[in-house]
Amino acid sequence: MEKNKSVLVIGAGPAGLQASKDIAEFGYRVILVEKNSELGGAPIRWKYHTLAPDFVPTEKVLGPLIDFVKNNNLITVYTDSIVESYEQKEDFFNIKILNLKSKGVYNEKVSAIIVATGFEHFNASVDPRYGYGINPNVIGINELEVMISNGKVLRHDGKIPKRIGFIFCVGSRDRSTNPWCCTVCCGVSIKQAIEIKKIIPDSQIYMIYMDIRTVGLWEKLYWQSMENYHINYIRGRVGEIYWTGEKLLVKGEDTLVRGPFEALFDMIVLAVGMEPGEGTKQIAKVLGLKVNEYGFLSPRIPNIHYDSGKDGIFLAGACVAPMSVEEAIGEGSAAALQAIKYSMRKAKKMP
Amino acid sequence: MTENNNEKEERKGKYIIEREYVEDERIIEPEKLDIGGVDASGRWGLIVLPRVIKDFDHSLIDEVKKLPRGKHIERCWQCGLCTSVCPVAHKEPNFNPRYFIYIVKMGYKSEIKKLKKYVYLCQGCGLCSEACPKHVDPSGVMMALNILFDKV
Amino acid sequence: MDNKLSINFNDEEISLTKEDQKLFQKLIEERKAKLAKGTIEDYLRMLEKMKELEKKEEIILHHVHEEYQPRLVKTLSGRIKKIPTVELWQHKSCGQCGHIPGYISSLYWIMNELNIPYVDDTNQTSCTAWNYYGSGTSNSIAITAVFLRNMHVAYEKNAYPLIHCGTSFGDYKECRYLVVMSDEIRNKVRAILKKIDRDIVIPEELVHYSEWLHVMRYEIAERKKFNVSNIKVAVHAACHTYKLMSEDYTYDDNILNGIRPAPTSSIVLALGAKLVDYSNWYDCCGFGFRHILTEREISRSFAYFRKIKPIVEETQADVLITHDTGCVTTLDKSQVVPLAHGYKETIPVIADSQFAALAMGAHPFRICQLHWHIADWKNLLNKMEIDWQSAWDDYKKYIEELKKGAKPFLLIPPPRKLQPRIRDERKNLNGEE
Repeated sequence: MEKNKSVLVIGAGPAGLQASKDIAEFGYRVILVEKNSELGGAPIRWKYHTLAPDFVPTEKVLGPLIDFVKNNNLITVYTDSIVESYEQKEDFFNIKILNLKSKGVYNEKVSAIIVATGFEHFNASVDPRYGYGINPNVIGINELEVMISNGKVLRHDGKIPKRIGFIFCVGSRDRSTNPWCCTVCCGVSIKQAIEIKKIIPDSQIYMIYMDIRTVGLWEKLYWQSMENYHINYIRGRVGEIYWTGEKLLVKGEDTLVRGPFEALFDMIVLAVGMEPGEGTKQIAKVLGLKVNEYGFLSPRIPNIHYDSGKDGIFLAGACVAPMSVEEAIGEGSAAALQAIKYSMRKAKKMP
Repeated sequence: MTENNNEKEERKGKYIIEREYVEDERIIEPEKLDIGGVDASGRWGLIVLPRVIKDFDHSLIDEVKKLPRGKHIERCWQCGLCTSVCPVAHKEPNFNPRYFIYIVKMGYKSEIKKLKKYVYLCQGCGLCSEACPKHVDPSGVMMALNILFDKV
Repeated sequence: MDNKLSINFNDEEISLTKEDQKLFQKLIEERKAKLAKGTIEDYLRMLEKMKELEKKEEIILHHVHEEYQPRLVKTLSGRIKKIPTVELWQHKSCGQCGHIPGYISSLYWIMNELNIPYVDDTNQTSCTAWNYYGSGTSNSIAITAVFLRNMHVAYEKNAYPLIHCGTSFGDYKECRYLVVMSDEIRNKVRAILKKIDRDIVIPEELVHYSEWLHVMRYEIAERKKFNVSNIKVAVHAACHTYKLMSEDYTYDDNILNGIRPAPTSSIVLALGAKLVDYSNWYDCCGFGFRHILTEREISRSFAYFRKIKPIVEETQADVLITHDTGCVTTLDKSQVVPLAHGYKETIPVIADSQFAALAMGAHPFRICQLHWHIADWKNLLNKMEIDWQSAWDDYKKYIEELKKGAKPFLLIPPPRKLQPRIRDERKNLNGEE
């Protein structure tokens, strides 16, 4: 296959999968490199049950993409692999791919590169306020999503929780952990609260928030949660969670009452935010990409995400900034077109 | 609130420097207290009760929802537009429609007991219901609370 | 582990050697959520500068050398701290001597039992930390001068200062930081010290007595006479020891997983008692720096309703142990008024040294002076199977004898091995003219 009709896509999350599909449908070859064993990125790794705001099952959105990528002849998929090194030649790139399990090294030649390495969820054990990892029954929204997929939301001792609290802004909007906002956690948490209410109808759910940032059409989740599902909202922050041996004593301040509360909860869910993952850090080093002060990949002009500033390398998805699945899919498509335009220009077919 | 004209009656807990921030109900100043032969009356035996909220009680909001004009109380998201247009709130700081709805939703009995006597000040002008973006009908909720706060 | 660890600091690559790595390992990796941001790094930088000043011969450092038989502990950042175990200069607490005499006499008695030589100096001034925290009527130069005066006396006596009071400890941590980092304060304090014929001597480590109890806990537990395995103990740690300048207090990965400070909890565990936990562990006792002077009512109510009542309700502990003068005072004395109001929850409050001495068989009144404590301790002594009734009769007899003119029983320290530094009129402490 001609080396100037091949595109390397790093990362098989929503952005990478959409980019691969678009490029293959155009007729170019795709080298898709994924660090994990499964394709699909965070939604598959963390078994997202449905996507906000319309409760669309994840398979409905990602299933067709994954099937297409697996079955298409033009797409070569390397799982359990990373890009070890690259070399820029006159009109193509020499890529070395390392398989992390077999330690085999593979060489490929491509005309353009798309970086879609996605994100990791914040590890809340670093934040001592909530005792995540020490107190039982304190979980993150990622772990809750797995529980909801299995249809059972249970405490660590197997009992059904009656009073559940969601704490917003964990690992985000915080100078001691991560200063940025993760944009989607508010909507995802409210979506999950509604799903818990469907599984455990007589539960009492409390959203302990600083702000509610359900943007755009996601706002309806906020209204539905209050009006149809009777979910309670406490404007405030939690300073300490103490395990009494049976329940979690949550100590916080209710801003609207201007006073402290110390109430017992069965389970606490932390809205852990997005942060740049190991894959993003590794690929930034290998490809020499600029990284901003937060650790996300920094495009040449901040509002134009696909332009990395380096010739032939394009960015897409949550490795640039926290975003929703729909936005990542859109960015994947945009990067695919940029990669194709670039390849054609390099092959001297376009000015 | 009118000033107490009786000069002999001193305000309890007057030696507490941050007295303005402590509600009267939380101060227990004994007129006469004897501890093992030592006179600990007045400020020497004064204790201040804590103000931590220990629990939530949603039985009250169920009662409000049953009354015809209180049925939309759950829509309230505490934006404060109702209080911002309320003529009574501009004169009387303890009359705050947004806050009444909140303490009823969360069931903060101690706050309700403190403020329930002010709910009757609602004039029924309906400006709040016009301003409310969520169509909570705060005017109607105030009517419902007038009935319910009697029982708390 | 690699020989070189690189960190990115303000866009600058800094390479650390293996020794420095150990210092910063906990900083960077484990304590990433630096809620006490700046405190740990500033403190470590201060320690570095202290060593630099010594090299430049601007100050004298009172080292914890081998003759003090130091034992090593770790601090919050993983730094190794040396705790001297013998030849200690007892830096007493005004509050303890004033109204909790059992606090220090228990400590002295324990040291006598373990044959540890110490200096009980009459030439010590109060640290005046109350001045700073309580009334705010002093200034940094005056307080630092008092601090260094006491340290100089200890240096002369060739004994390492062991600080009894948590408030003194916190105050001295702050003063040492100021005197090392600020040239202006150092020069002004030096001028004051010169007037009383002294110079700046800064101790290499600031050691609180609870850390001494922590490193000596196994020796103390060996000499235990009473079984405390059925005693439920709640522990309260003072704000001044671990919240103020949080870097400089002992943390041990084997005690409470290194999340909470180790002293006091460690000696309770070593003695075999049952350590219980309660929800308000991190709360202040109620003393609250200036609060106990200006807002007595709130201080007293806070101590009872936010500490004593929850501890009794949640744990039904037999005793509450703490390691600071102010904490013992507040938690003990604040129970009087609420109990008179009719509340039922009460718990005896004593210091870790008193509890350890009781377990080792010290006289509850001659040594531990429990009669100065207000909250009822009789149930505790009954549970420990200490016959306090005959001890009380014995004590009353002793008082009668004193009234008739008998000599009082004094605690005499064991003989010292180290000699005090003799100050020649013409030479300073280093032997220079």
